Formats: sequence, C-alpha cells, structure tokens
Amino acid sequence: MTQLVQAIVLGLLIGGVYALMASGLTLIFGVMRIINVAQGAFLILVAMITWWLWRVTGIDPILASVITTPLMFGFGWVAYRLLLSRIRGASPSMSVLLTFGFALVIEGVLNVTAGNKFKSATPSYFEESFRVGAISLPKAQVFGFVAAMVVLAALYYVLTRTWTGRAIRAATQNPSGAALVGVGAAGTAALAFAIGSATTGVGGSILSVLYPFFPASHYDWISRLLGIVVLGGMGSLPGALAGAGILGLAETLTATYGSLNWSTLVFYIVIMVVLLIRPQGLFGAKLREDTV
Amino acid sequence: MLSLKGIVAGYGGGSVLQGVDLECAKQTITCIVGPNGAGKSTVLRVISGLLRPSEGQISMDGEAIADRSPDEILRRGITQVPQSHALFPAMSVRENVLMGGYLIRRNRALLRERLDMVMERVPVVAARAHDNAGNLSGGQRRMVEIARCLMLDPKLILLDEPSLGLDPRSLSGVAGLIHELNAAGTTVLLVEQNVRLGLGLATHGVVMEGGKVRLTGTAAAIKDDPEIASLYLGGTSGSPTAPRPTARSKAEGPKTETTGV
Repeated sequence: MTQLVQAIVLGLLIGGVYALMASGLTLIFGVMRIINVAQGAFLILVAMITWWLWRVTGIDPILASVITTPLMFGFGWVAYRLLLSRIRGASPSMSVLLTFGFALVIEGVLNVTAGNKFKSATPSYFEESFRVGAISLPKAQVFGFVAAMVVLAALYYVLTRTWTGRAIRAATQNPSGAALVGVGAAGTAALAFAIGSATTGVGGSILSVLYPFFPASHYDWISRLLGIVVLGGMGSLPGALAGAGILGLAETLTATYGSLNWSTLVFYIVIMVVLLIRPQGLFGAKLREDTV
Repeated sequence: MLSLKGIVAGYGGGSVLQGVDLECAKQTITCIVGPNGAGKSTVLRVISGLLRPSEGQISMDGEAIADRSPDEILRRGITQVPQSHALFPAMSVRENVLMGGYLIRRNRALLRERLDMVMERVPVVAARAHDNAGNLSGGQRRMVEIARCLMLDPKLILLDEPSLGLDPRSLSGVAGLIHELNAAGTTVLLVEQNVRLGLGLATHGVVMEGGKVRLTGTAAAIKDDPEIASLYLGGTSGSPTAPRPTARSKAEGPKTETTGV
C-alpha cells in the first residue's frame, strides 16, 4: 500500500513538471499551428545556462529561473521575429523542418561550447527528502513541482483573465475573426511564441536538477513532450496537464511494479489506445463541423 | 459620410474592382446587389482595410482612410460582419462579445457600459452568455456576430450576406436588428445575394457588375427598374424572406470573389 501511494505521489510530482514543459509546446501549436520541435533543445539550453550559473555563482538552480525565464521570453520573441514569422501561413510540416533545424543548431552550439558530457546541477538538498509518514518526497522533486505549479497557475491566469490572453485564445480559435476586432495576428503570434519559450526558462532550470543532461538529450525530451501533447490533444492546455500526469504515473507505477526499462513503453501504449478511441486526443477540440 | 472614388483593387492577378464609385449617406441602409464575381464582398473588404486598393480614394466623414490598417479603420467607427465564421467557437458568448471591445479594453467603465447596452439590445447575448459560441445555432451566431461589432458603437456597419444560411425566423430577427440599429442612428452597408430581401431592407440600392457600379438609386427605384427586375428578380420565387439556397451557381460569371475573410 505504502509502495502504491509512494509511486502515485511521485508520479504526480513528476507529471507536474512534465506539464509545465509541455504547456509551452501546446500553446505555441494552438496559436500558430507551429510544432516547435526545438522546444526540447530550448529546455536543454536553459539547463545548460542554469548549470553554468549554479557552478559560477552558486545560485540555486531552480531559483535561477528568475533569470532564465525573461531570457527565454526575449529569445522566443527574437526567434519568432527573425525565423518563424517567415513561414507564417505555411503548413505545420514546414514548421517541423524549420524548428528541427533550429534544434540541431542549438545542439551543435552546445556541443562546441559546453562539451558532449552529461551534466547535472546538484544543490545541497539534492539528495535530501521530506518525509510524510512512510512516504518519502525528494526535496528537489517537490521544489520543481511547486515551481511548475506556480508557473502554470500564472499561465492560466494570463490566458483567461487578461486581454493579452484573450487575444491569444481568440487568435488560436479564429485568426481572421481576431483581425476583425483589431487583434494583430503577427504581434499575438510573437507574444505566444515568447510565452511558450519562457515556460522552458523554469522547465529547463528544474530539468538541470532532476535529470542529468547533455546536448543531444533534447531528442528524448521532445519525444516525451510530443507524446504528452498528442495524448492530451494538440493545442489544449488542460490536455497537456492530463497527458503529463498520465506519463508521470505510467513511469513511476511501471518502475515500481515492473521494471524501469518498460516505463516509457507503457506510456506509448496508453497513447496508442487513447488515439484509437479518441483520434483528437483526450481534450482535443472537436467542434461542430460547421463552425470550423 | 462614406465615399469611394475610383477604387481599383484585386487579389494578386487581376483587378476585381475596376473603378468603383460609391456614396453612403448618414443613417441610410445601402444594399449592394449583383451577380457572383461582381466584387460586392471585395468592396466591403476594401472599406474595412482588409484589402488595400491599388488606386482610388475612400473617405469617412471627410477623412481619407484608404491607406489605413484594419484596426485604425475600426477606431474610426467602421466595423464588419463577414459572411461566416467570425466568432471564437471555444470562447463563451459573453467573451466573444467582449472581444468586440478589444480596442477600448483600457477603458473599463466604457466597456461595461457597452456590454450592458449590447446585452439589452441583443437578448441572445444575455440568454446564452456562458455557453460556448461554437454551440449556437446559425441564427444565434449571426446575432452574436452583429452584437460583437456593436461594442465599438460603430457609425457604419458593413454586413456581408447577413441572410446566408439562415432559416426564415432567424432571418426576420436579423432584419429586425438591422432596422433597430439604423433607427438608432447607425449607417449600414450590406451585400446581399437575396436581392428581394436586401432591397426590401434597404433605403438605397447599388447594382454592381464586373467590378463596376452599374446603377444606384433608392431601393424602391432599383427594385422597380425593369432591367433589374428581369435580371435578378424575374426568376426569384417565393416570399421576400425565403432563404435562398446556400450553394452558389457557378454559371453566373467569373468566380473571382472570395468567400469570407
């Protein structure tokens, strides 16, 4: 019993972090129909910067997101203006090509500058745990989860309660309708891409503590994130949360009762079964056909 | 109030509009009729700034607006309701209407006042406030589309085929709303393929053909014009409010007109 509760709690803690990482990807797809394959590379880039900041200044890696988040917001904004705006109106497959190229460039630059070795930020609490009864909660995992929830709550607030968020959602659902009420498509897209990139500021900082990484790790991460987003429904934020929770639970439950080697496979089996029943994903938009 | 002079405009290849002159006086309802490809919808797109004319002048209350961006034109009190699918399907009706006030979002008091006014004028907004717009019927959707553009308290409303796809009951609701708005001082310019309905609603008529204005006059005069009658009204049967088929005939001429925005 304790073992089960331990696995579920840990699965949800991991899921929360995955949710944050996937939120940016699904937001960007929702607004621009851009599948940002470089999102994983953004995460590794941030993890590398965080690791470096931690080594040089001793700053707590998760707190370093205070620096990396605005940095990634600006990075996303510039990347959109210089690169992604050029494929506006092209098919989503074009965005896969462009952002994949972008990911390779980031990977290459990191290989040259940081070296092709595993790294991991190990702050003082790295090996410590909170104990609640018989359950043990690794401190780094808890801090990462809390940071992820704070950012997701902020994202939810921005999207539902502010005019910026309304404009982003409007442009997601109907770009020409948004233009009619005076929402500029280009500005909204740049903003959404910047916000989506900014989520990797926190996500990558957490990653640097929880998972050892090296420049090519982004392939693992993007496949996990794409799995989450497809399972939840492309473009849906609640879907990303659900998909991330399922991945986290699938990993810890399989690792507890089976073997660590099977944990990722179980998640992809879940994806296949769900897509057989609901091709649009758990929360994917299925509107009345005449409104599309 | 609105005046177009020698407007030439098109999409890439040729010019759809080949020198259009048009006047809308204050508080009139002007209806543009004409065959497919005449450039009716294109005229609306040029006025609202979604398409920039290559030649000609547009002025609104004496101010030139031909080279303005869509949001600058919105700020000057010109709003457009397109042929279809203007709403945000996964947002609530209330939020959809609120988005109509995007340009006045900084002025909360004004926004609230306008929202109350719109809810009063278009009851479906209040009745279905918390439902997603994607779940509305065609007629309700058209009402919400018009309601949304009222948030800016427009001086001029451009309506592209308000009758498209509506059943007779929804149609009379929409027609009633147009009359009410006009009575309250709003100028209306609409495009309508249902010629009987459009001219029945309007005070003035404009007949377009091949990218040019062929005839203008009061709606009654246009309706009674023998040539127009034989061209557009002769074959039309049924009551003036009967919905016309939504499928368009392709035999009517070059299909250069685009649908929607």
